[in-house]
This record gives sequence, C-alpha cells and structure tokens, in this order.
Amino acid sequence: MKYRYQDEMSPPPARRVTDVAITRFEHVFEVEPALMTDHVTQQDFPNWDTLRLVRSRADHLAWMHRHFADKVLSGEELLHDLDE
Amino acid sequence: MTVLLGDPVLAELRQILGPEHVLTGRADRLNRTRVPAPFPVHRWAERMPDLVVLPASTEEVAEVLRLADSLRIPVVPRDGGTGLTDGAVPLRGGIVVDVKRINQIKEIDLDNRTCTVGTGINALKLNEVLGRHGLIYPDDPASYPCSLVGGRIGTSGWSLIGSRYGHTRDLVLSFDHVLPGGRVIHVGDGIGRKITKSSSGYQLKHLFMGHQGTLGIASEATLKLFPKPEAEFSPFWAFEDYDSAYRAVGALARAGVATFAGAVLFDEWKVDYLRRDDEAYIPQPSSVKALVCAALYGYEDEVRAGGRRLLRIARSLGARYLGDEISEGDWAARHDRYATPLHGRTRSGQVVPMSWHCEDASINYTNLPAVRLAWHEIADRLRRESDVFDDWGMFAYTNGATGADYLTEIDIGIWEQRLDDAAWEAWVRAKRDLAAVTLAHGGSISACHGSCRAGEVDLVPEELGGGYDVMLAIKRAIDPNNIMNPGKYLLDQAYAEKS
Repeated sequence: MKYRYQDEMSPPPARRVTDVAITRFEHVFEVEPALMTDHVTQQDFPNWDTLRLVRSRADHLAWMHRHFADKVLSGEELLHDLDE
Repeated sequence: MTVLLGDPVLAELRQILGPEHVLTGRADRLNRTRVPAPFPVHRWAERMPDLVVLPASTEEVAEVLRLADSLRIPVVPRDGGTGLTDGAVPLRGGIVVDVKRINQIKEIDLDNRTCTVGTGINALKLNEVLGRHGLIYPDDPASYPCSLVGGRIGTSGWSLIGSRYGHTRDLVLSFDHVLPGGRVIHVGDGIGRKITKSSSGYQLKHLFMGHQGTLGIASEATLKLFPKPEAEFSPFWAFEDYDSAYRAVGALARAGVATFAGAVLFDEWKVDYLRRDDEAYIPQPSSVKALVCAALYGYEDEVRAGGRRLLRIARSLGARYLGDEISEGDWAARHDRYATPLHGRTRSGQVVPMSWHCEDASINYTNLPAVRLAWHEIADRLRRESDVFDDWGMFAYTNGATGADYLTEIDIGIWEQRLDDAAWEAWVRAKRDLAAVTLAHGGSISACHGSCRAGEVDLVPEELGGGYDVMLAIKRAIDPNNIMNPGKYLLDQAYAEKS
C-alpha cells in the first residue's frame, strides 16, 4: 500500500508563491506554515492524500456542473471565435 | 416550556407520530439547534428545543400543531437548517417540527411541466430524478446540496440563477400550508395546484412565503419545471479596479441576453480575501483588484450566441478572461458554499478557525459603490476592535434579468471560540448599522436570508412602515396564541397591543 511508504511522508520542497502561500505540487497551494503556529497547526499529510483531496474537489465540482447542464462551454473557444 | 419524560404531551405526540418519531435526547435536540452562521455559540443552550418531532404527512403536521396550539406550546419548523437568519432556531424552547420525512415525490406531470413534492425534499436530490426526464427545478441557493424545499418557502429564498428562471416565489406554484391551529389550506394563484397566473381573490401565496415559520408550516408543494439546460457558460473576468468591474457587471446585466442567468461582482476586499486561501486567485497578479462573473444556461446554440455577446461587452470594458479552469471551477463552487471549510486571520496574519456570517441586502445598481464603502467602514471598525472579526469582502449578485438591483452581501468571519457578550454586542451593533446603511440608500434589509436576527430586525418596522402594522395584525389573526416561532421579527408586539 502506497501510504505506508516513508517517501510518501516527504513532500516536495516548498516554493513561495506569495507572502501568505507556498506550493509543493502543481496548482496546489498551502498557507505559509509560519502563519499556522499559534491557533491552528498544520497536519502532516502523505503526498497521495494531498493529491486525493485536490482531485476529489475537482470531481465534486464536475458532478455539480452535471446537475445543471449537460455540457459546459469553453470561454477560450468562444473568444477564439470572436478573434476570427 | 420544559417537557419531562412521562409528560402527557409526550404521550400524545407519540400516539400521533409513533414513539420513534418523537425525540427528546440532548444530541437530537442539539443537532436541530445548529445553523451555519451561529447565534452566539457561548449562549447555545438558550436556543435548544424541548423536543423534536418528525411527522411524515400533512395530517401529522396538522395534529401536532392542533395539540401545540391547545396547550400554547411554541413550535418551530425546521427544514435543512441552512438559513442565515436563524428562522429554524427556537427562541423559547418548545417543539421543533423537523420535516425531513416529508420528502416524497408525489407526482411528476410531464405535460404541464410541474412536480408535486413533500417539502422535506432537497432540490439536488429532486433534480437527480427530474434529470431522467430531461427536466430541472432550477432553485439554486448557495446551500443547493443541503437546503430543502420547505425552507426555501419559509424564507422566500433567492436563487443564483434567478435572473433566468426566477426565485423561489416564482418557482413554487402552490403548496399545502398548515395553519397554527392545525387547519390545512392550499395557497397558490387561485386555488389551482398547477396554475401559474390567477387574479382570483387575494394573492395569498406570497403571504405564506418568507414568514420564517411564524405563520405555520408548508408540507407539500407543486413546483414549476424547465427543460434541463443543454449548455452552461460561466465566464470569470479580472479587472484592474473596482469601478471598471462595476461598469462591466451593469453592462452585462442590462444587455438583454435571454439565456443570462446571473452576474456577480467581487470587490477589492473579496479579492484580497481570496488571495489568501483560494487556489484560483493566489497566483493572480497584484494588478487584479476586482472580479466579475456571469452565467448563461439554455440550448447550446443560444448559449454560444449569448456568450459571445457578453464576452464582447466585457472585453470592451477592460476585462481579462481568467480562463476555463477558474471559470468552470469557481462557478460550480457557487452552488455549494456550505461545503467550504472556513478560517480567517488575526490582525497579525495567524490562521484561526472562523464561522461565516453573511449579511445581505437588496441594493439598486446605482447605490452599490456607496453601500460598499459604508459597509466596509463598519467591518473595519469591528476588525480594529478585536481579532474575533475578519472582513472577507463583498459580492453583489444580480436579482433579475434587467440589472435593477443586486443581492449585496458582506462576509464576516467570526472566531466563535473567542466570542463573548461584549464581542457579540459589537456584532449586533454592526448588523444594525449595516441595515441602516441599506435603508439610507433605498434598499431592502435582505434579498435572500430574511431579517429576523438580532440587530437588523430592529429596523424592519422602519423598512416596512405602515406595512409592519399590517404584519402585526396578520400575525395576531392567524396565530392568536403566538405558538409559531414566537419572538421572531419582533412579532410579540402584536400581542402586547392586543392586551
């Protein structure tokens, strides 16, 4: 099982994005750890679990779209039409 | 009222509903006290019901109300418990009537495009069934996955896509309503269950919507249905200043595009808040100061045509399209704001757990900029006083297709664990001040939630003027013993006048 591997508990190095946020995985952001020391502390997550949470959120949003329409139109495509 | 086990009231209720549908346990009662934007948590015990009942039909609701009325026991109806003005929270104990068992789909009428349901049903679950018929019931609050039809009636709710399909008042055609003494009436346009327009008699449907449980309990409703949209388009745009975004949202709303379902304006404070915690906005350049989004629904060809028109308008007003990923993700999240874990910041920037307190109003387009500044001044005052409060910024959502007025909300984070009487008083004062700003600008205190919580409720008589006197007379006439949700909307005055 992947979650047992020690390397899953070693997240990639952090890259600062703003004064209040860092990133370790593409498109995944975390609060700057120094801001989570007094009242709410950060938890250790295995890498797979961090990515599972993000993917689950995306699944949830796609599921929500399906409640309202069969298809979502692309703005990038419509803008391309305008430029032609 | 304090009900003790063995009390004759309990025995009668168990006789009516069956023993398993009369709940007296502390956890059962605490669960029916909880709401998403809590009244002061340190005074939670004051809001507990004495017992909870779970009727399964209109007849059972009527019997419960008949018994409660004869014994003068307070009754509070509870649906999803997702309202933001504490309509489902008892102020005087008594019986909470939880309608979640009244959740059947009684009929889907494909020819007249209606369905009849128990009011304990949720729109998301209903739409999963309607979708099989190519239909949708498009009542879309931020609590879409968890609010119930009966609560939408009791609050006269607002819908995110109401500019296209109307709001709850437009979508609910008629309903069975149990009056405080237990009499069941049917209200709609005329007496018809599926009639969309009548000029026969008083229009009672609106009277029995938005009363926050003070006039009885809706138990079965007939709803208007639409074809499920083939396509959705929900563009999000960034602006370098609020004024440009404000001009753009007005132009989009006034464009007259038939598939236009709504537009939203995010102010600078909201963008600052999102930059802290929202993956879509953390990486945005600092030049982004305000945002606008729009949503269109319909057949693909008409949504494409309308979408191109709105993109052209936005571009001409300095908008930068934020891309498909943000647009699609953020719009989907609008249907489900209650799933968002909430935290705020102390003034030093430390993360703290906070609950979401959202104050709303209906404001005309031309007054949005002034109200925004006045409201943030009030929020800044709170923030200066205490780390308990955090300003999470403002949204303005179109109320209708012509762009006349907007559901305007300011979101305040409150650190409930640190809340005490002094901080709560400061908050109530702030709510009163927010409502005063609304009235000073010709607005209505609430577009969506209702206005019966401490603070804003003090100004309801001022807003309604002579209409408030009529409201008192109606309450007294329909609920002579004041059993329905007593204490809400300052309606005790109706009985003080009588005595």
